[in-house]
Amino acid sequence: MRGALLIAKKEFLELSKDRKTLFFAFVLPFLLYPAIFGMMAKMAKRDEAQNRGKASRIYLADASGALTGTLRSDPKRFELVPKPEGDLRQAVRDQKLDLVLEADPGAMEALQKHETFSLTATVDESEHTSELALRRVKEALRNQEKSWIQTRLEGLGASPQLAEPLKLDVKNAADPALEMGKVMGRILPYLLMIMMYTGSMQHGIYATAGEKERHTLLSLMATRLPRNQIILGKLLYIFSMGVIAALLNLLSMGLSIPFMTGGATSSMQALAAVANPMTLGLTFMIMVPLGLFFSNFILLMGIQARNTIEAGSAITPGIFLVVFLGVFTMAPGVDKMPFLTYVPVVNVCLSLRKLFSQQFDQLEYLVAFAMTVGLAGLMTFVSTRLLNREKALFKA
Amino acid sequence: MIQLHEVHKSFTVKDRKTHVAKRIDAVRGISLEVRPGEIYGLLGPNGAGKSTTLRMIAGLMDPDAGSIHVCGHETRQAPEAVRGCLGYLSTDMGVYARFTPRELLRIFGEFQDVDPRIAERRGMHLLEKLQLADFADVKMEGFSSGQKQKVSIARALLHDPKVVIFDEPTTGLDVLTAKTVLDLLGIMREEGRTVIVSTHVMPMVEDICDRVGIIFDGKLHGDAPPRDLLLSRRAKTLDEVFFQLAAESEVEGGH
Repeated sequence: MRGALLIAKKEFLELSKDRKTLFFAFVLPFLLYPAIFGMMAKMAKRDEAQNRGKASRIYLADASGALTGTLRSDPKRFELVPKPEGDLRQAVRDQKLDLVLEADPGAMEALQKHETFSLTATVDESEHTSELALRRVKEALRNQEKSWIQTRLEGLGASPQLAEPLKLDVKNAADPALEMGKVMGRILPYLLMIMMYTGSMQHGIYATAGEKERHTLLSLMATRLPRNQIILGKLLYIFSMGVIAALLNLLSMGLSIPFMTGGATSSMQALAAVANPMTLGLTFMIMVPLGLFFSNFILLMGIQARNTIEAGSAITPGIFLVVFLGVFTMAPGVDKMPFLTYVPVVNVCLSLRKLFSQQFDQLEYLVAFAMTVGLAGLMTFVSTRLLNREKALFKA
Repeated sequence: MIQLHEVHKSFTVKDRKTHVAKRIDAVRGISLEVRPGEIYGLLGPNGAGKSTTLRMIAGLMDPDAGSIHVCGHETRQAPEAVRGCLGYLSTDMGVYARFTPRELLRIFGEFQDVDPRIAERRGMHLLEKLQLADFADVKMEGFSSGQKQKVSIARALLHDPKVVIFDEPTTGLDVLTAKTVLDLLGIMREEGRTVIVSTHVMPMVEDICDRVGIIFDGKLHGDAPPRDLLLSRRAKTLDEVFFQLAAESEVEGGH
């Protein structure tokens, strides 16, 4: 193992000489995530504040005047505007209006006769302001409707509760920690996989096909170090870089959460409850063999390739596979398919999802862990055997 | 001591047009022996099998048949022991440009299991001999090909190997640097090392090699001291011998 450690040490020393790569690999994540999350939160807040303080522009076609008073009485939320020129749908699409509300011309008469009148709302659901206008109108109409029903019931001498046979009181069984855990359980395995793979990809290419391209691999092979030690040393380096990249990115994201939540204490408490040492430990433990599996794939492709371009072409499609698997495991209902427990990589994501959702299943976790360890071991065996061949090492 | 006995090596290559796999015999039954304190010159045109032979001697490739012994170790059975007792240099070897020569030698000292203090002392001594001591702490990114070659030589000799294999050590070097390398080869002979050097430069062979072997189509011809070779072939220069053997090889191949 001494030889493998020496090779890994050489790789890290070489990396330490490249200030730009060091900056991008180790410093940038700590600047990037707080900047991105902070900016996103600021923009979202500003947008929300702007929309909240701004009245929705509504064209109300209400010949009988049944609703005009309702909307006009709340000028902070509704601004009734004159009919624009041209098609009303187009006016909404062009954001000249947020919403068009057209009431039946005989609405007032229908109201007085205790009949039903119809209303048509035209919105652009692809626009947030239009959606907000509809939400506000629905709320205002619901209140108005309630008041009309009560007046009707009073007129009939009936109890106001006649139209309200039940009152639903919703209590949230999930605490904030569980809610956050479920979100993290979905996203975290995906992020970890992506970060481990992409984090080790470039370093892997540099240490394998890059060595061939720079004609330095031969000088390593000419030393007394056994070949499998050289290969294992490179594997160790690629794996370490993947794990370091994933941990740094996650740490940076974790540190950026206060920027996103605006430092809300409840969010921080929920995060602290989810990210307990046990959960983090189990996550790390299962990510180690998965990282080793990815590193083996990168090593195998890298050493078989003639140059860095060829290696890049072979390794890059792996990202799509990782993204696909990650997205697949985020889909609702996936955690209820028992056979997925036996599908490698997917079972890691699913057991992590359950771990964070407070539904930890020891057996599922152990199956996923054992399968990933087995797979990583097999890949290590295959890659050391394959890469020991003259054909792989002298391909140029 | 290097001993090769009936060594064969072939490769399979695929014809890109016909997609038919072809077997190429790179080395065909080479036997030779190089003794301590001797410089053996391996000559031959490109693709004759020189580099493959040297790589097999260095334990980097395995022979298909025959045996190779270096420092008493069989290359297939103990490749690490073989590589531990020899220094190998090839023109297609690069240097780790992000390192300084001192850093590179320190790292390769660890790879070759040399005590760090000895590696430092020996490394600096070699850099001085190769007139590169002033650049010991300069990153190799901006080095010329000659400077890189000198660092590679120092790397190959760092662990004080008994056997030295230099595959075309002067290719691409200016006259002064080439002379430095040749002087070093002379010193190595005086130190009692076993040296094999492959080259295209005939005057260099005549000057420094004790014995010469010429490879054509994977076969070894004329394994003898340069002067004997000239006499037996009634030639004035090794170039002439080379052309005669090339012609004979073509006739042989034609039959």
